[in-house]
Amino acid sequence: MNYPVWELAMGAGVLMALVSVLHVFVSHFAVGGGLWLVLTEARADRRGDADLRAHVKAQSKVFLLVTLVFGAITGVGIWSTAALISPHGIMALIRAYVWGWAMEWVFFVVEIAAALVYWYGWEKLDARTHRIVGWIYFIAAFMSLVIINGIVTFMLTPGGWLETKEFWTGFFNPTYWPSLVLRTGASLAMAGLFTLLTASFLKKGATRTWATRWSGGWVLAGFGITLLTSFWYDAALAGAMDAVAGTLGLPGWNELTTGALPVLPQVLWYFKLGLVAAMALSLWPLLAPSLWNPAGGVLIFLAGLLAFFGGEWAREAARKPFTIYGYMYSTGVLLADEPALAETGVEASTRWLNPASDTPEARGKDLFRAWCQPCHTMDSYNGLRPFLARWSEEQTAEMLPRLQHMRAQMPGWPAGDRAVADLAAYLRGEGAKGDASFPADPDAAGRLAWDLHCGLCHTVDGYRELRSSLEGMDRGELEELVDGVADLMEEMPPYLGDDVAREHLLNYLETVATPAATEGSES
Amino acid sequence: MNPLLPTPDALPIPGPAPLFTGLLHLTFVVHLIAMNFLLGGGVLLIVALIRRKATGDVHDRTLARLSKLLPTLFSATVTTGVAPLLFMQVLYGNFFYTSSIVMAWPWFSLVLVLIAAYYLMYLNSFRGPALGGARGAVICIAVLLTAFVGFLFSNNTSLMLTPETWGPLYFAAPGGTSLNTGEPMLWPRYAHMVLGAVAVAGLGLALLGRRERGDAELGRHLVRHGLTVFGVMTAVNALGGVGYLMGLKRDVMLLFMGDSPHATGLMGAGIALTLALILLAFRARSRDGAGLGLLSGLTALTLAVMVLMRHEVRDAYLGAAYQPQSFAVQTQTLNIAIFAALLVGGLITVVWMVRKLLQAS
Repeated sequence: MNYPVWELAMGAGVLMALVSVLHVFVSHFAVGGGLWLVLTEARADRRGDADLRAHVKAQSKVFLLVTLVFGAITGVGIWSTAALISPHGIMALIRAYVWGWAMEWVFFVVEIAAALVYWYGWEKLDARTHRIVGWIYFIAAFMSLVIINGIVTFMLTPGGWLETKEFWTGFFNPTYWPSLVLRTGASLAMAGLFTLLTASFLKKGATRTWATRWSGGWVLAGFGITLLTSFWYDAALAGAMDAVAGTLGLPGWNELTTGALPVLPQVLWYFKLGLVAAMALSLWPLLAPSLWNPAGGVLIFLAGLLAFFGGEWAREAARKPFTIYGYMYSTGVLLADEPALAETGVEASTRWLNPASDTPEARGKDLFRAWCQPCHTMDSYNGLRPFLARWSEEQTAEMLPRLQHMRAQMPGWPAGDRAVADLAAYLRGEGAKGDASFPADPDAAGRLAWDLHCGLCHTVDGYRELRSSLEGMDRGELEELVDGVADLMEEMPPYLGDDVAREHLLNYLETVATPAATEGSES
Repeated sequence: MNPLLPTPDALPIPGPAPLFTGLLHLTFVVHLIAMNFLLGGGVLLIVALIRRKATGDVHDRTLARLSKLLPTLFSATVTTGVAPLLFMQVLYGNFFYTSSIVMAWPWFSLVLVLIAAYYLMYLNSFRGPALGGARGAVICIAVLLTAFVGFLFSNNTSLMLTPETWGPLYFAAPGGTSLNTGEPMLWPRYAHMVLGAVAVAGLGLALLGRRERGDAELGRHLVRHGLTVFGVMTAVNALGGVGYLMGLKRDVMLLFMGDSPHATGLMGAGIALTLALILLAFRARSRDGAGLGLLSGLTALTLAVMVLMRHEVRDAYLGAAYQPQSFAVQTQTLNIAIFAALLVGGLITVVWMVRKLLQAS
């Protein structure tokens, strides 16, 4: 670990997600909105429709305030936030893709200038020149997407770049094209979402009816493209993940979506739910434009936000625990450096250890900050306290050298005995501040016991499923299994929970082992 | 060598280091001009607000003119600021990222402060007179926030130069709440920037006055007032420059006073240019703005000299910790060519659009 880590109780990932979802939401609007403006303006000019022209002008003011201010600044914000949270990742990206960003910057300059000239040029520029400026805006904004899409998809599916380290190989990576089409669709839909909201405030009349229908069509068509492309994208992503899995020994797509990465199926579901909900809602302005109102505008807006939230989170989640998949972990360690790290041990590789830390807990805290905090918090995102509160220090110490076997794809932590003891001491101290009790409901208690012990590496029916091994076992056999579990294989830690937890765990395992009682149990 | 200094990334840099340094300097000068117009323009906006006696007087018209212009200058400042930040990170990323993390919360707040300042500028621009008594507050807060952005940048760009201060600051507050206020060069460095911004904005005002067609009185006022601001503030800022020099580490200061011929030469050029600017400013003022073109060119040149001096300070502070010759280089010739072509095409497009707008106005 090369850099200091910003100690952030809410979790670095949450802050990053917040800034990026907001930016991505607006930046897609910036792309699609450009096209909406010029096409709608052209129609208004063709038909001499002054009301529609006024609507476009008002919309371009919203556009100016939303994309130029909020979009541009949060774009810079993503960059500076990412550098605070993942400095090694940004540094590698800058080294690999600075010319890509430099090209994107040119389009950014043109885009901003065009947006300003477009706004200040209403009633001043002749209609044709005004529309040309609008087209320049749209093309520049779209080209920004064309470039940034290469860098963003590179982080998740670097493909052949892992071998060649060549700019364009990484740029036109396995998910580049599906992602570009998917995001283009989303951009069109965003234009529809924003303009539906503003159209809902127009005075009733033919213009409002037409504008409402028109924008509803953008949502339906845009998200339709996104939804259809998402199957292409999923297939490309699965292929890319499987290709890396084959060469680097990581879980493939099937494993990732069936439990190797616990959060992925859930957020993919948010994505598709948001898309379908927005598309369904878009039928309202399409079929009954006269009934369209601001409440509908807000509702469809929220559905769109859910889709973006799920989509971006899925992309981030699928990449974990890497910053650049198959190349660099979120901790900044390169996959290629793992053997060397195992040689030197984590302590010698941690640059930012406080020289004043002279107790095991204090040294453990320094290690925690450097090695755990890039992905974990105590009580918030990927919170550890629920586990630590119910684990003994001994159990924590048994887990630390086995992290690479856990199902969330954690990298290994090759630490010496002292480092393990220090970190375990710190974690026990944090755990002691938490709630160690089990819920009164026996099912919930059993489920929690499973999560604390078996669920870290196994699922019931999906990835590394246990049901087939447990099925048919009686209570006595299950007890024997739990108590002797460390003898099964080297990777398994011994069972070190207390008797209460053991009882809850056995109850839960019994429900898995007994076919009649298995309904609804998953994960 | 400081043990806390992160090693630069293992990947090669995609072009020769001097190319990135050159692009950094070039884009930074452009950014400085835009930033000076914005921040200094904000200060002049407050001046106009204070001097305004009645609706429609020359200060009121100055206020209106500046209010309309500032949001666009905000855009120009942000867009031109991205490029130097980008090129700087190729070379100095490991310094810059670490200092950013040490002051993480203030640095993160940049996004929020920028958005707030930007919106307030637009509020004043679109709704100015309608704001009534609140207008003064809106303008002052917007300008203070803009100045605060500069303060954050001064903090970070000075903190990145002193790796020896990172450890104590970070370990005292790993939550990233520190600022670099213990650094002797911070305040003079910031003051030098702000004073310079007001001076250059004065020149901007004079240029605006020269372009004024419809309102001859306003045009004359802007030229005279702007050149006064420019001349006086440049003189004041010469003293600010002396303060900045005194705030530097002694061995770095001495580089500019004979120890390094290169740095001393830049210093000499800076002093000569500053004197010339002051004289030319008052000369132009007495001649109703004649010679503004020359003055503008020399101002841009002065800013370029200042940027080069700032670069000397940076490399002198970093010393052996910064070794660009140790970077592996793998030049991406095709990409550099594409960037250059896009840049030319992009600039032509921007100039075409802006000219169309100005012709139509």
